[in-house]
Formats: sequence, structure tokens, C-alpha cells
Amino acid sequence: MSELNLTDNKFIQFHQKIGFKFDGVKYYGYKGDTIASALLRNNIKLIGRSFKYHRPRGFYTCGIEEPNALVQIISEYSEPNTRATIKKIYEGMEIESQNRWPSLETDIGSINNIFSPVFPAGFYYKTFMGPHKNFWKKIYEPIIRKAAGLGKPPKEFKAVSTHLYHNVDITIIGGGLNGLIAAKSLIDTKYSVLLIDFDDQLGGILNNSNKVQSVNNQTPMDWISETVKEIENSKNIKLLKNTLVTTYNYINHLIAVEDKFVGSRPLKDKVNSTLHKIRTDQVILCNGHIERFLSFQNNDLPGIMLCSSFEKYMCRYGVIPSKETVVFSNNSNSESLVFSLIKKGFKPKAYIDSRSGENIEPDLFDLIRKNDIPLYTNSQIKEAYGNKKLQKILVEDSSGGVNEIKTDFLCLSGGINPDVHLFTQSKGLLDWDEKDLTYKPAQAFQPTITLGSASGQFDFNAINKEINEKLDIFGIKPVQIKLKLNTSHKFKIEKLWEVLPQKQTIWSKSFIDLQNDVTTKDIRQAISEGFDRIEHLKRYTTNSMGTDQGKISSINALGIVSDLLDKKVNEVGTTIYRPPYAPLSFAAIAGRNSYEYYDPERKSPLHNWHITNGAVFEDVGQWKRPWYFPLSKDETMNDAVQRESKNVRENAGVLDGSTLGKIEIKGKDALAFMNLIYTNSFSKMKPGTSRYALMLGEDGMVKDDGIICKISDEHFIATTTTGGAATVLGCMEEYAQTEWPNLNVYMNSITEQYATFNISGPKTRNIIEKVFPEVNFSNEAFPFMTFQFHEYEGTPIRILRASFTGEMGYEIYVPSNQALKIWEKIINFGKEFGLKPYGTETMHLLRAEKGYIIVGQDTDGSITPLDLGLDWMIGKSKKDFLGKRSLIRSDTVRKDRKQLVGILPTNKNEKLEEGQHIILDKEIKTPTPMLGHITSCYQSPTLGHNFALAVIKNGQSLIGTKAFASTPELKTIEVEIVEPIFYDKENTKLAS
Amino acid sequence: MLIIDCPYCGPRDQSEFSNGGEAHVKRPDGSAEIGDREWGEYVFIRANPKGIFYERWVHSHGCRKWFNCVRDTSTDEILKIYKIDEERPKLDSFKNNVKTPSGEPNLGSGNFTVKK
Repeated sequence: MSELNLTDNKFIQFHQKIGFKFDGVKYYGYKGDTIASALLRNNIKLIGRSFKYHRPRGFYTCGIEEPNALVQIISEYSEPNTRATIKKIYEGMEIESQNRWPSLETDIGSINNIFSPVFPAGFYYKTFMGPHKNFWKKIYEPIIRKAAGLGKPPKEFKAVSTHLYHNVDITIIGGGLNGLIAAKSLIDTKYSVLLIDFDDQLGGILNNSNKVQSVNNQTPMDWISETVKEIENSKNIKLLKNTLVTTYNYINHLIAVEDKFVGSRPLKDKVNSTLHKIRTDQVILCNGHIERFLSFQNNDLPGIMLCSSFEKYMCRYGVIPSKETVVFSNNSNSESLVFSLIKKGFKPKAYIDSRSGENIEPDLFDLIRKNDIPLYTNSQIKEAYGNKKLQKILVEDSSGGVNEIKTDFLCLSGGINPDVHLFTQSKGLLDWDEKDLTYKPAQAFQPTITLGSASGQFDFNAINKEINEKLDIFGIKPVQIKLKLNTSHKFKIEKLWEVLPQKQTIWSKSFIDLQNDVTTKDIRQAISEGFDRIEHLKRYTTNSMGTDQGKISSINALGIVSDLLDKKVNEVGTTIYRPPYAPLSFAAIAGRNSYEYYDPERKSPLHNWHITNGAVFEDVGQWKRPWYFPLSKDETMNDAVQRESKNVRENAGVLDGSTLGKIEIKGKDALAFMNLIYTNSFSKMKPGTSRYALMLGEDGMVKDDGIICKISDEHFIATTTTGGAATVLGCMEEYAQTEWPNLNVYMNSITEQYATFNISGPKTRNIIEKVFPEVNFSNEAFPFMTFQFHEYEGTPIRILRASFTGEMGYEIYVPSNQALKIWEKIINFGKEFGLKPYGTETMHLLRAEKGYIIVGQDTDGSITPLDLGLDWMIGKSKKDFLGKRSLIRSDTVRKDRKQLVGILPTNKNEKLEEGQHIILDKEIKTPTPMLGHITSCYQSPTLGHNFALAVIKNGQSLIGTKAFASTPELKTIEVEIVEPIFYDKENTKLAS
Repeated sequence: MLIIDCPYCGPRDQSEFSNGGEAHVKRPDGSAEIGDREWGEYVFIRANPKGIFYERWVHSHGCRKWFNCVRDTSTDEILKIYKIDEERPKLDSFKNNVKTPSGEPNLGSGNFTVKK
């Protein structure tokens, strides 16, 4: 075991052993371990196979920047692509490695590595072009998808998450050294402060390295616990641990995800994660820096790790990945690792630095010399070798000689980058620092302050000055932090992006993006092919497009590109950093808006009656509407609809129409307003009458329809389609407020206040006379398209004589809370006349027989009233209404517009389908000119015929001609184009 | 995500509002005397400037009132909010600095420097 010590500390509870499974084998770790630290404890260094070439990969880092160590958590709904370097273990956890088959050790896909010379950048784009366009979808894509990729998507999955909102003055992101100092200085000020850290332990670099010896004469651990206690006890600072800020939007709007089950198995019935939505006046970014790697041949072998990550495993987790490691660096960041290794008694096997001896920090130089560590200055690692693990490296020294060093581990440091991801998301600008060789925040776009290494300020001695200057705007007391360091306080680096190998073969690989298997060769090729703009190059090579977003490598790519193009890095620029900073689950984003809470369900006041009576429901907008009422479980929808529709035509049926939108319009100018909103003219209408009306958009297209009841010139009630109610009300409000504010008119939705029953059929009058004996339903007293107000056992009701089925019918409007009582009465009284409830499908069939359209089904936003043959509904005498002028636009008066027609198949039993194209030729020869398409089609028991409605170019003039409907199997069905009305063309039944 | 100061309710999150496009587009009356061009421009043509933009919003999940707003589309900064019946503020009363959040910086964020 690779343990350093076994005494409990705040990071690891060594007395608490935890068992978990990796690829089916049981291992033990301790409470506080990540998957990575626990596996390293068990000497597991191979963790997965790479994306494209299936190369063996190990742990490269110890944090969120990890490109390789992605695993599938079987015990959590098989959650894929989890970073093993941050996910903590718990008892019974099951983990699997990804992208390997049949096993991690023996992976068939690794043959890709041998064939790699034929997979250069842009390989897929160039290769899979032919011979036929179907080859991509049917052959190439399925094969490639199987071979490439990361984890498998979870199958059954129901995560629970909630959203939480914060409104604070200051948000500090990152609770490391600078974040803690900043938070401490804001204790008991007038500001409300939120301090957010991704870790469960605050302290950052103080926890992860031995750089700092003491803070204010305390050990770093004592200083942290004292400071955190003060912050926790303060009244104005709220602390969020285990919370990752993923997004920095405009107007200082931050999104952060909190993991509620760090180090334990998520409970199914508890909130797993919380999405924090934060509004803040000021953001202080203290999110530190990320170490980057270096490119040389086989720099991806398991056993190669970043220097600071190695040190973090030692300091934080008490595990040493190797007791004999080699260190390779071009900067001063490796100093603290060498210090830590020597302190623990595991001095490095060799220290290789690309800098010359006099440029290496004197303290580091002395330390190496004193401990007899082989030192290679002015040297570079040319190549690494090994089979599934590092075995040896080739070092070119200052004299040009090549030395072979046998080692199983190598620590790398290619420099450090401020973690500018959030800063650039906020649209802050970066500038390249030629001295420190990295992009640093230069100009904030929002009220953003950066502190410490996040601002590119790598000098420990300048911390006080920076904080006091930048936080002066809050009027804080100047801070005086005394730091004692184990290493040099300044950062120094010499340029090195890539070491070219001794001899280059077609299999040579020095990686620039480990997760996406992009090599430096790919970058060169992309540039030589002309993809020299950094955004193009990124997409062509897929460099930095993995889930790690190239956190340890994207800057190296810029360095290499700038050298190749002989441009300054600032001229090359960076690609744009987009949210999220690290992947966050859709479950967290969805929050409570998932499954049954995804969309509100609206139910009619009779919903429970429908359930009791066996209705099958259909979603119409947010509404649940009875679709049909099967007599038994065996009755199909088709059978039920045939039966229900026949019954309406022969006896009577009743439909729950409560979901229809209802809008009440009142005001002195209500008449003028309605005349402007709808196409019809309401001026000459008598009070107590109603009219079928159309509403257009300003483009002249049909937007909605409904029946308008005129109570008086100052009072109307309009019905709308079920789905269009909100839009129609919104449109009325918009025009009332913005275009005609001079009109005295008010409107209100009364959809939910009233239930609506649509009774129709030849026996309707018999039934309704029995239910409402005091009302005179004769044709003279109650003509078609009139309405009356009545009272039923103390309940005010409105009865409208109208029909959507073609039979004589009435619509009864009842206050919702009385709806069930009256509905049941109608059902009971109607029994002897054969009255049955019917659903929306039967309603669709009946209205189509009569040629009534449904807006949104027979129209699609490109159909005018003229196209529907509804010229009679346009108030021609009116000077203006919505869309009027558009009806004489050159486009709307075109002769070849699609017009509504009826369709009858020559063979009356031939089945048509909605969406089928109508064409003129019997034989389909591509391209076939398409006349239009079928919008509604049904099998009618009344007609004994299948029929359809369709919109067809110049359709009104084609009535009486033959045409063909095309099927997906490229067959044709002979049909006849007819008038769009199939039942009671003379309207005798409506007024009977 | 903007914070919008509804003139009737006060500052609220953008998610409570709906955008209504360009403001001060007067509807010509729909009579046949209006020419095709004039009517077509009213129905189909809207400005989409980079910089100062007069636009409409409605507090759809609030008071349902429409109001006007002046916003710098390059920075998303809201410069003025006024009621629908208030006079249109003059363009020169705003500083049109077109300080783009991501466009054409001298410094290195984004790839705009290589466009030159």
C-alpha cells in the first residue's frame, strides 16, 4: 500500500475503512478518499482507455481538471463520465472503467492505436463521404459510435434536485488562501456575503501543498480552522461548500451546483443536488490556478502526473502514487513537490529542468544538490516508454547526449494558468503575460475583482497589497497577513511547449489533448491545411473540446500554434470560454421541473367523472381532455370513435368542452375593439346573438377562431381554441395597451370559471327540455346562434345554441363548482334518448365531416381566411381589423395558394394518413411536384367512407379532379378532390 | 439574465418578462390606401441594431403591463425604462459606446484579434 501515514486528520479518517468495487474487484479505501486516491492506495494506476485510440490512461491530476480518469458510477443510476479525482467513495460504491471491451487490461479497441496513422485530424469529415449518402447513417455512424466515446448514458434515472435563489452584495468564489482572507476582512461589515468553494475543506493551496509554512505564526491548518470558524460564526457571511460555480452570466448572475451527498450514497427520496442561482453586486474571483502539462512522445502513459497533483495526493490524501518519481519541469512550481518528497523521505529519482542551472531557484538547486538527486539542467524529456504503464524515459541533456532513466513515475509541470474560465464567461478580457507565459485577466466587463493566482498574481509576498488595494472599495480594514514560505515566493518559467521526439514515426504521439486524443501532429496538419484560426483549429482537431475543456492543455496548444505561425500568443487569441466551467447534470438544471412537475396539468371540473367513466385522456396544450370513452378494455379507439360518432348522428352525445378558452371583454369601447380584433363585423349584431369569428395576425394568416357572444355593445364573451386561449388574451391586451390605449376596454380570462357542455344530435331538444323545463327551446324562441341566461336551481347558467358537429346542438356554460351536478343530471335525463358522452377524437371526426376546420391542424400559420373559403367571415365594410391590409398583399392574392379541399379515396376503404402529400402523377418520380398535403383524415361510419381534408395549391379550382396521395413506401393512392364538406351541405340539421 | 425594472412593480428577474421587439413602430391603419411597401415594412421589418435599441417588454408573469425600454444590445445594459404613453427619449441622451462584451478587443479573449 502506498500510504504515508495512518493518523486521522481532517481530510481522511483512517480508522474508517470503506469497501468499494472497481471493475468488479473489491478494494478498500478510507473515509475522505476520492476514487483516485483510494485506487492509488491500492497501486491501481490504469483507470481507463482513451477516446479515440483506446490507449491506456492513468490519473493525470488530482482535481476537476482531470482529462483521463473518467468512470461510470454503477451504483448511482450508472452515472457516466464522473471524474475519479473528485468523486468521493462510500461503502458499497460500484465503479466501472469506460471505453474498453472486454476489459481494461485487454481492450480490443486498442487496435485503433495501431491503425492511428489513418485517423488524422478531420479523418471522419474526409473519409466517410460515400459511396452513397445512406452509408453514413446506416454503416459508418453506428460502427464509429460503438468504438469511440466515453461512458454509456444511464438508463433508469430519476435524480432529485432543487433550485435555490440568492440575492447578496458580494460573492466570493473560491475559499483558498485569498478567498479566506477576503471573506475574513468582510466579517461584520454591512455587506451580505456568499463564500463558495467546490471542496468540502476550505484552504485550497494550504491543504494541497507544502508551499506555505505558516500564516500569522500559526500552522496553515490552525489558521484555516480558526478563520473558517470566524466566518461561520459571522452574521453576514454564508458559506457554501461542495458547490461548484459553473456559470458567470450577465448582470452578475451566477449558477452554482451543490452536491448534497459528498462521500455517501445519494438517497433516492432526498435532494441530490441544489442549483444555486445567485444575483450579486460584486464578484470576487479567488478560484486559483491550474497547472498545465508538457507535450513529448507518449506523454499520456499511466504513471505520468502533474507535479502539484502528486503533491496534493501526498498532502491531502496521505497517499504517495510512487516512492521513486522523476520530476520534469520548466518552472518554479515543481519546487514545492521536491521539498515535500524530500521531507517525507522519498527523494526524486532524478530532477530534469529545461532551464539552465542559474535560472533554477537557488533554494531548489541547493535542495537537490544537498540530497544527491541526479540533476539534469538545460534538459528535456524526449520520449517516454512503457506498456500500460511508464517504464523508462529518454532525457536529452545540455550536451545533447541522451540518457535513459528507468522509472515507473514521472511528475510534470509546464507552468500555471490563472483559472480564467469564469472571468472570461463574464466577458472579461485577457492579456498574455510574456514573463509568466500565460493569459491573465486584464479588464473586467462586470463588477468583478480577481485576487491571487486567479488574477495572475503569483507572488506570495504581494498578497496583502493586492487585497488591500482591490477591496478598498468596500472600506475594509487593511489586512496584514504574515506568510512564511517553504519555497520561493515568486513564480518563474522558461518557455517550453513541446519536446520533439528523437525520431518521428507514423505512430509517434505527443498529446496536446488527452481526453480527445489530439496530438501535436494533428495541430500541425490542421495548420498546414489552412485551419490556422484558433476557433477553426479547435473544431477541426477537436482540441480542448472534451468534458475537461482542455484545462491542463489548451494554453499549450496556443503556444505551439503561435510558434508555428510565428505570431504572438495575443495575436492567436484564445477560443471563447463558454459555460459551464465543468459538466453539470441536466437533473440539476431541471430541478423540480421534471417528470410529473415538468409542465402543469390542467383538468376540467369534470375530470374525476371522466376517470370514473373510463375515459382515455389526450393532452391538448396543458389540458387533459377525454379522448374517447371505451366500453371495455378490449374496445379500440377506432371502434369507440365509430360507435360514439354514430350515436351523435343518430341519437345525441355530450362533450366536455370546458377547456375551450373563454375571455370576457367589457368597456365603453368594447364593440369598436372587437371589430378591430376579429375579421367579422359585430356592429349590426343584436344583443343575445353570437357569431363564429376569425382572428388573424397582421400578416393576414388565421391565428385563432371561436364564437363571440354579444351581450351588449359594451360586453362580449369570446371563446378561443383550447391551446390558443393565452395567446389570444395576450394579443388583445397588447393591442389594447400599445396601439389603441384610447379605447376604454378591459378583458379577462374566465376559462376556469365556467365549465362548458356541448350537447348535440337529433334528440338533443328532447333531453334539454327535460333538464331545463322552464326554457322554451323551440326554433322561434331559441334560434340558431343565439344565447340566453337562465337559472338552474339557483345557479346562473348560459345556454348557447351552436354546433361543432353539424347536428342541432347547444353549449351550456355553468360555473365550475356546479358543473358536476348539472352534467350528471344531463347524463341521467339523456339516458332514455341514448345520450352518451364522447371524446375529442369523435368531435374531430364529426367536425371534419361537416368541413369545420381546427386552427393549428388544418391551418399552419400560412393559411388566410380566403384559402379556407371563409370569405363570408370578413367584414368587408370595416375600415380596419388585424391583418386586413395583408389580405390584398401580392402574396395573399396569388392564384396558386394552398386552399382547403376535401379528399375522397376512390376505393372508399383505402386508408389515408395525415401529412401524406397530394401529387398529380400515379408514378412517383423524384422530384415529384407536390400539390399539398392532408391535414385531417378519418374513417366515417356515417358516410361509409374514408375521407380527408387537405390544403392543395389552387385547390378550389381543382375540385372534381383526380389526384394521388403518396405513401412513405412510395406507393400512391388514387383520390378525388372534392368540396371540403361531406355532411348536410344545406345546413338543415343545424337549424332543425 | 437581465434584471428589469418594471415601471409598475419594480426590479424583477428577466424570467418574469417577455420581449416584444422594437418599440415605437406605429401601426398604420389597415385600410387599402396603405401601400404594399409601407404595410409590409410595418408587418415584417424590424430594426436590429448593435448598440442602442428601443424595445418593448411585457411583464407577462406579473402585472401584464407593456412598457418601453432602451437597451444597449452590445452590452445588454438597460439605459432607460419608461411607460408606453411616455415620450420616446432622444437617442443623443444616451452614450452609445458600443463597448462590446466580446467583440473586437485589443486584448486576447476571444479570437477577434486575428480577424484584423
